[in-house]
Amino acid sequence: MTLLTTARKPSLPLGRNRSPKPRVRVEAWGWLGVRWVSLFATVVFIFLPVVWLALTAFKYARDAYSTRLFFTPTLDNFQAIFAPPNSFGPLTLNSTLVSAITVAIAIPVAAMAAYAFSRFQFKGKNALLVSVLSVQFIPPVVIVLHFFSIFRNLSLLDTRIGLVILNLSFVTPFAIWMIKGFIDSLPGEIEEAAMVDGCNRFQLLRYVSVPLIMPGIITSAVFSFIQSWNEFLFALVLTRRNAVTLTVGLMGLNAERGIIWEQMAAAGLIIMVPIFVLSLTIRRHFVEGITMGAVK
Amino acid sequence: MRDDRLVRNLLLGPALLVLAFTVLYPFVNAFLLSFRDWQLNKSPQPTAFVGLENYTRAFGDPHFINSVVVTIQYTIISVVLSMVVGLGIALLLYRPGWINLILKSFLIFPFAMSPALKGFSWRFMLNPQYGIISELIGRIYPPAAGFVWLGQPFWAMFWLAITEVWGWAPYIALVFIGALGTLPQDAFDAAKVDGASTIQTFWHVTIPMLKPIIVMMILLKTIFSVKQFDAVVTLTGGGPGRATETMNYYVYKTGFSFFDMGYASALAYLLVVAMFIFAFFYVRSLLHREA
Repeated sequence: MTLLTTARKPSLPLGRNRSPKPRVRVEAWGWLGVRWVSLFATVVFIFLPVVWLALTAFKYARDAYSTRLFFTPTLDNFQAIFAPPNSFGPLTLNSTLVSAITVAIAIPVAAMAAYAFSRFQFKGKNALLVSVLSVQFIPPVVIVLHFFSIFRNLSLLDTRIGLVILNLSFVTPFAIWMIKGFIDSLPGEIEEAAMVDGCNRFQLLRYVSVPLIMPGIITSAVFSFIQSWNEFLFALVLTRRNAVTLTVGLMGLNAERGIIWEQMAAAGLIIMVPIFVLSLTIRRHFVEGITMGAVK
Repeated sequence: MRDDRLVRNLLLGPALLVLAFTVLYPFVNAFLLSFRDWQLNKSPQPTAFVGLENYTRAFGDPHFINSVVVTIQYTIISVVLSMVVGLGIALLLYRPGWINLILKSFLIFPFAMSPALKGFSWRFMLNPQYGIISELIGRIYPPAAGFVWLGQPFWAMFWLAITEVWGWAPYIALVFIGALGTLPQDAFDAAKVDGASTIQTFWHVTIPMLKPIIVMMILLKTIFSVKQFDAVVTLTGGGPGRATETMNYYVYKTGFSFFDMGYASALAYLLVVAMFIFAFFYVRSLLHREA
């Protein structure tokens, strides 16, 4: 790729640039070919699974079970998954409610903690911060082993609130780190100025700090929603009928002939589309978000 | 400020309570459980203390040993492939341009997709009769037409890894694209002046400068691979046989199919130890980078 630029720019009058001009051209064309082939391969690799699933969602069974490119589109599959016995309506509601409530609890709590971590100095702060980061490395199966037996005794198995409690275990630490990252990147001077102007701590939070960190809070809320929405293990273990979420609902799309793929694809589209839309809204912060908030 | 302490405690309190209840308590409780016998289908409460028996049992359990081996193999394959493909995509797309710009915004899709759904969608595409990927492979290499990819241990493992690479490589690419943009141009100019070829520049200039990010991404991907679960359930179900039964999946089966909670807790704790080794290095490199 460096050569590509060399070929376009007039070459520098330096004796050390030994390669004669025509060879650079040939190599450049070689690179250009490699580049376009790889670009094509990348596009296929990234898009094929999504596009194929999206197309299958609109196919009749006979087209779904073939690799033909042309087919008669239908909305039957969506009708089928929302009708009994699949009833994806309640599942969609469960996924939405569980994710929304998780976010509604985790984000304010995490934002407060993040603010304290970012703007206050206190003893043991670093140890506490590293612990918050480290709890994300506890395998989720450890958490669910414990809660499964507790919930059995409290009859919280197969409830939405049970799922929310478990989702908090990974959403909260992630959000604390992510929001802390945003607050760290804001200069403290504005807040100091407000203090000098006679704001008390609470006025400062309410009128200065919260509006300033709002973009960070919104981004991490979207992130947390995506994570809860995609959560699979907890819902698989804890739900049977009433609180089943969309990701676990996929497991139920079976018949004697095996998985009903065209319905699976339709359900997949319902899981995918909201997440894709949400992820586009926070596109800019996606990368730092994950590395900073680290690890579910 | 006098009230700083109070304000700080009020701000931190709720989060620490949530974490104590949802993470710390389960973490400690599972540790205690790992020293007890508890068949959940027979008793609603843990029964006898058995000391280290659950742990010694693990090391004599061929299925557990198998899951460790599977996890290690899977982790190596998926980490290497994700890094190579991710770096490749980054090098392809990091220069400004409208095609790159559009493609870059699509790179987040595979990563944002539900892992359980990823598993199902690849299973569909790999179906020997009507899967689009098997079809494509059959067109390019006719002897492989109709091959049951998920029916053979090596290939099942390979495709499980690819499913994961599909989600992770684009994300890793985005991280590298960000990093490539911050590299000092002088180094590349100097290499050009010295007459270095593209490949030499890549090996001796680009890669060394990216090393801290490469290390971090390897660790992060390793941590995720070690606890791989969702796609195992939906792509292979641990099969064929036990060829793709990862540690996490084996713990899940022990706990929730056989209801052997004490043993499952001990196995989970062995997984915790494995995770924390990598996590230690990850946290260190993360904090190091921040400082």
